[in-house]
Amino acid sequence: MRRLLAVVPLLLVGAAMPPAAVAADLAHREVLPNGARLLVAPRPAIPIVVVRVYVRAGSAFDPAGAPGLANITADLLTRGTASRTGPELDRAIEFVGGSLDAETGRDGTALTLAVLRKDLDLGLDLLADALLRPTFPEDELKRKAADIEAAIRRSDENPEAVGGRALARLLYPGHPYAHPVVGTVDSVAKITREQVVAFHRARYRPDATVIAAVGDVALDDIRGALARRVAGWTAPSTPDETIPMAPASPPVVAETISRELTQATVYLGRPAVRQGHPDYFPLLVANYILGGGSTSRLYTRVREDAGLAYSVGSALSPGRYGAAATVSLQTRVDAVGQALGLVRAEMTSIGKGPVGERELSLAKAYLIGSFPLRLDTTAKVAETLTAIEENGLGLDYPDRFKDAVARVTLADVERVAARYLDPSTFSSVIVGK
Amino acid sequence: MRRPPIAAALLTLASVSPSAAPAIAAPAQVAEATLDNGLKVLILEDHRSPIVSVQVWYRVGSRNELPGATGLAHFLEHLMFKGTPTHGKGEFSRQVEQSGGHDNAFTTQDVTSYYANLAADKLELALALEADRMRNLLLDAKEIDSERQVVMEERRTRTEDDPDGLVSEEMMSLAFKAHPYRWPVIGWMEDIRRIAPTELRAFYDRYYRPNNAILVVVGDVSAEVALGHARRLFGGIARGPEPPAVAAIEPPQIDERRLIVKKVGAQVPIVNVSWHVPTFRSADAPALELLSTILSEGRASRLYRKLTYERRLALGAGGDYSYFSLDPNLFWLYAMPLPGQTPEALEAALLAEIELVKQELIPAEEIERAKNQIEAGFVWGHDSVHSRGATLARFELLGSWRLADGYVPLIRAVTAEDLQRVARTYFLADRKNTAILLPADAPVAR
Repeated sequence: MRRLLAVVPLLLVGAAMPPAAVAADLAHREVLPNGARLLVAPRPAIPIVVVRVYVRAGSAFDPAGAPGLANITADLLTRGTASRTGPELDRAIEFVGGSLDAETGRDGTALTLAVLRKDLDLGLDLLADALLRPTFPEDELKRKAADIEAAIRRSDENPEAVGGRALARLLYPGHPYAHPVVGTVDSVAKITREQVVAFHRARYRPDATVIAAVGDVALDDIRGALARRVAGWTAPSTPDETIPMAPASPPVVAETISRELTQATVYLGRPAVRQGHPDYFPLLVANYILGGGSTSRLYTRVREDAGLAYSVGSALSPGRYGAAATVSLQTRVDAVGQALGLVRAEMTSIGKGPVGERELSLAKAYLIGSFPLRLDTTAKVAETLTAIEENGLGLDYPDRFKDAVARVTLADVERVAARYLDPSTFSSVIVGK
Repeated sequence: MRRPPIAAALLTLASVSPSAAPAIAAPAQVAEATLDNGLKVLILEDHRSPIVSVQVWYRVGSRNELPGATGLAHFLEHLMFKGTPTHGKGEFSRQVEQSGGHDNAFTTQDVTSYYANLAADKLELALALEADRMRNLLLDAKEIDSERQVVMEERRTRTEDDPDGLVSEEMMSLAFKAHPYRWPVIGWMEDIRRIAPTELRAFYDRYYRPNNAILVVVGDVSAEVALGHARRLFGGIARGPEPPAVAAIEPPQIDERRLIVKKVGAQVPIVNVSWHVPTFRSADAPALELLSTILSEGRASRLYRKLTYERRLALGAGGDYSYFSLDPNLFWLYAMPLPGQTPEALEAALLAEIELVKQELIPAEEIERAKNQIEAGFVWGHDSVHSRGATLARFELLGSWRLADGYVPLIRAVTAEDLQRVARTYFLADRKNTAILLPADAPVAR
C-alpha cells in the first residue's frame, strides 16, 4: 500500500515476548566497566550492522506533570550534538545510506544505528555523540514540540490511536502507563529545555543501558570500538529510579467514544502477568488459542464464520511495570453488539473447557517452532537481545521458553483462562457511534 | 492483504532499513527453471537460518479487472485461504502454523502474491499447499458471502475511515480515465457487495495457471531437492490459455485536473500532487527513481528539510514513485500542513520544489547521497530470506530476475542533467493532478 504508516497503539503489543534461537549461539554477553551490558551477535554474510542502544528511559519515567518528556528527549538526541547540528547529522548518516533513530516506548528508549559494515566507524561516532553529547538546542525543542503536538492532534482521526490511549487510561489508573508515550498537546507544549537536559542526565545512565551489536561484526572489534566511545560515560552515584507496578485490580469500566466512522474499533483489556509468573506460559498458550493466530477461536468464529471483522485477535503485553491481556477487533458500527457477543462467549468458553488436544498441540508447535522466524532479520535479533536482557530473562531464555511452553497442560490452560480471560473482568473501549 | 499486519512488539519500533530499494543475489546462485506447463521456478539457497520462504506470484492484479467488477483480484486472494477438496478451509494456515510458520498474501495493481515463511524442513508441505490451491480451490458460495463481509470490513478500515486512504483513491481516479489503475486495488464497495461466485470462478480459471505464475523458494534448502519437489508437485498441473493482455492505454492528459474531498473526522488537510510518468520500461525510470529519493527519502531529503524543518509548513511531506509498475503510473508528492498553515501554501511549496529541480541542477552531494541510499537499501534487501525472494520475483515480473543486476548501475549512471531533463519533460503545469483532502464539520445530530 502506498505510504501506509501503521500507527500501533503502544499498549497493544505483539502476541508474545519475542523468544530467540538456540541460546548458545544467540550472543556474547559482558558487562562493561561503566555498568552497561553489551550483547554481540555476529551475523556475517551480509555486510550490514545494527547497533541498538536500549536505555531504561521510557515514558514510565516521565515526571508528574510532564507526560511526553522521555519521548521528546529521545527525539532530540539526533537534533544536535557536540560535533554536529541536527541537519549535519542527518546528512552524515544518510550520505552513507544509513539511519540513526530513537524511538520511545513505555519502558525504554532505543537509539538504533543501521549502517553498511564499511561505514560502521562513522555510524558509531554519530551514535555515541547522540547518546552522550546531545546539545538539545532550544530552537530544536520548539520545533519538535510543535511537530509532536500536530501529530497528536492528527492522531485523533485514527480510531486505533484513540482507542489505545483510552484503554491505557482505564487499565493503569494512577500509574505512569496511563498517559500516552508522546504526552498530550498541553503537556508537550510546556516541556522546557531544562527538563530535557535533566531527564537525559538522570535517565541515560550506563547501568540502565543495554547495547546490542548484530551483523557483520567481530566480537573483539565491536567491543573495542564501543568501549572506546563510551569510556567517559559513568553512572551517577544516586541509585536508579524505580517505578511501582501497575495496579493489579483496576476498576472495570466500559467507555464509548463517539466518532463519525463506518466501522467501530473495540478494545478490551485487563491486567495480566509477566514472564516470571508461573501463570505466564499457560496464559501465553491460552492467548494463542483464543486469538493469537489465524486458526484461533476469535479469528475462526468472528471472522471466518461470521464475517464480522477483518481484524480480530488477542495479545499479551508484558511491560516491565505491569502486564496486560487485550482483545481487539474492528467491525461495522451496526454489528458491534453481535461481534462483542461472540468475542465474550469465546473468552468465557475457553475458561470452561474443554480445550482440545489439537488446539493445544497446534499452539505449542507454533510458539516453539516459530523461534527462527522471529530472528530472521538483523534488527529483529537486536531487538530480541535487548528485550531478553532488559527483562532479566537470561540468554538461556529461548531454551527455557521452549521447555515451559512444552510443559503446559490442558488443565493449565483452562485454569489461567478462567482467571485471566473472563470477559467480566475486562474494561472496554469502543470508538465509533 | 488477507490479514492485517501483526501489531509491532513494544520494543520493535525503529525502522532500520534505510531505503525500500531492493536487493538480489549474485546470478550464479539462483537456480532457474521453466516447467513444461510454463511455471517459472526460481530457487536461491540461503543457509544462514533453518527457514525457507516459499512464494507464488501470479501475474494478476487490479489492472486485469473491468469496471463493475473491481476488487476481483483482491477478493480472490482472500478466498485462496478457504480451502480445496484436499485441504479444507483454514487447513493451509493451520499446517503452516503447525510448522512454526507464517503465511499471508497481498494484492497490488499488477500482481497477487502468496507466501509462507516456515521451518526449512517443511518446504515440501508449503509447495504441496501452493500447488493444490493453484487449480483446486473450492470457491464455495457460502464462504464467498462470508468473506465478502470481511473484505468490506477491510475496505472500511483502509479507505472509508482513513483520510489518507480515501484521498489516495480519489487521486488515482482523478489521474486515470481509461486505464484500470483508476480504481482501487480493494475495489469499489458496490462491486465487492455485488460480485458473483461465477465471476470469481472465471477470474480464477483465467489467471491461476502455472504459465501465469512465478514460484520462488529462498532459504535453507538444496536447490536440486527443491526443484525436484517443484517439478513433482506442480508439473502435473495443466497449462492454461494465455491470459489476455491488458489492452487499456491511458490517453495523454490534456489539461490539469483538480479535486477536493471533504471528510468528517479528518483532523488535518492532505495535499497530493501527481504527474503521469513512465516506469521501468523507460530509460527515464532510473532518473525518476533517484529524483523521488532526493525529494523524499530521509530527513536530509528536500521535502522534509525545507517544508518541515526549515519553513515549518508541513507536519509531514514526502513522495512516491513506482519504478516497478507494469504500466505507466504516477510520480507523486504529498504534504500535510502544520497548524496555522494552509493547504494552498503547501501546494505552492511542493510545486516550488519541482520548479527548482527544473531550474537549477541538483548539487552533486545530494545526488550522491540518494544513490548511496538506494544502493544501501539494495544491500539491506538481502537481510531476510523473505525479502530476497520478493526481490527476485519483482524483477522477474519485469521480464527477468537478472534485471536486478542492472538496477544499481542504472541508478549510478544518472546525471544532474538527467534529473533536470525528466523534471522538465514530465512535471508540466498543465499535466498536473491535484487532490486535496479537507476536514469537514460533523453533520448536525439527527
